Amino acid sequence: MRGHLDGLLLSVLEAGPLHGYAVISTIEERSGGALELPTGTIYPALNRLERLGLLASSWQSVGERRRRCYQLTDAGRRSLDTQRGAWREFTATISAVLNPAPAPRTAR
Amino acid sequence: MTALVHETDPVEGYLAALAAAVHGPAKARTRMLAEIRDGLEDAVSAQGSIPRHHAAARALRGFGTVEEVAASCQLELTIAQTRHTSRALALTVPFLLACWYLIRTAGPSGDGQVPRVAQLVAAHLTGAATIAAVLAAAALAATGTLARWLPTPPGLPRVVAWTSTSTGAAMAVATIALLAASPSSANWPLVVLAGLFTAVSHAMVAGSARACRECARLTC
Repeated sequence: MRGHLDGLLLSVLEAGPLHGYAVISTIEERSGGALELPTGTIYPALNRLERLGLLASSWQSVGERRRRCYQLTDAGRRSLDTQRGAWREFTATISAVLNPAPAPRTAR
Repeated sequence: MTALVHETDPVEGYLAALAAAVHGPAKARTRMLAEIRDGLEDAVSAQGSIPRHHAAARALRGFGTVEEVAASCQLELTIAQTRHTSRALALTVPFLLACWYLIRTAGPSGDGQVPRVAQLVAAHLTGAATIAAVLAAAALAATGTLARWLPTPPGLPRVVAWTSTSTGAAMAVATIALLAASPSSANWPLVVLAGLFTAVSHAMVAGSARACRECARLTC
């Protein structure tokens, strides 16, 4: 799970800027509640992605409060594409092993 | 009064415990704690119209323990402090090198030279400071965009902490040597100025180095 956290965070920010709690809610919503992260650990992860230049952030007024909102940078989009490609390749490989194609019948 | 607030509001108690557990540059630390406070308040609001005390307790259950969240925050704050200390080194060392170079080439004093002790100090410290500046630049690169492709060495904060500690100590020695040498120099205003600048640099670097050592210790 931890190894895929960056990809998850980048993917929920693909549609547009979100603040920290909205990022967490979106992950839980998309996973149907199956992914329950310790939400407090998301904030340092967002800070790290910003340090790497994959996200940009700014304070914005959301409702009555000011919140730190994050959005993907161009480098973040490229990184998300790369992570999606790697994930597809990984799942295809595992799937090929777990669900092998039926062997052709040989004539007796 | 503070204890009273913590007794009545679990969120405030949690935030106080978290604030006490994490160390790092003031700006980065304040920002991270402010974001976490916002997130917790959002989580409490999302619990619906139940009493705040119960809503806060529920929100905190899904948030992670103070130890768990502090460990994640500290990792990032240690990197932020490493970058802060590296920047202090990278900014002060080139100015110091320029100062020491000026002293070396300042021209004749009463006995035809700038005091030999000042020259020797300048020569030895130039080497050490150059190494520190190169390491600081490398640390900034390794913890910045380069970290997308290369994992940051876990020992880097400790290396930066001790390099900056050594550089800070060298700056203190240089300050004493320069001020001691100034009376016998014909260019004493220049030597005194360099000494004072070295003292200011020492204060900047030594303070940041101390904070970096503390952060590195917490992420061991």
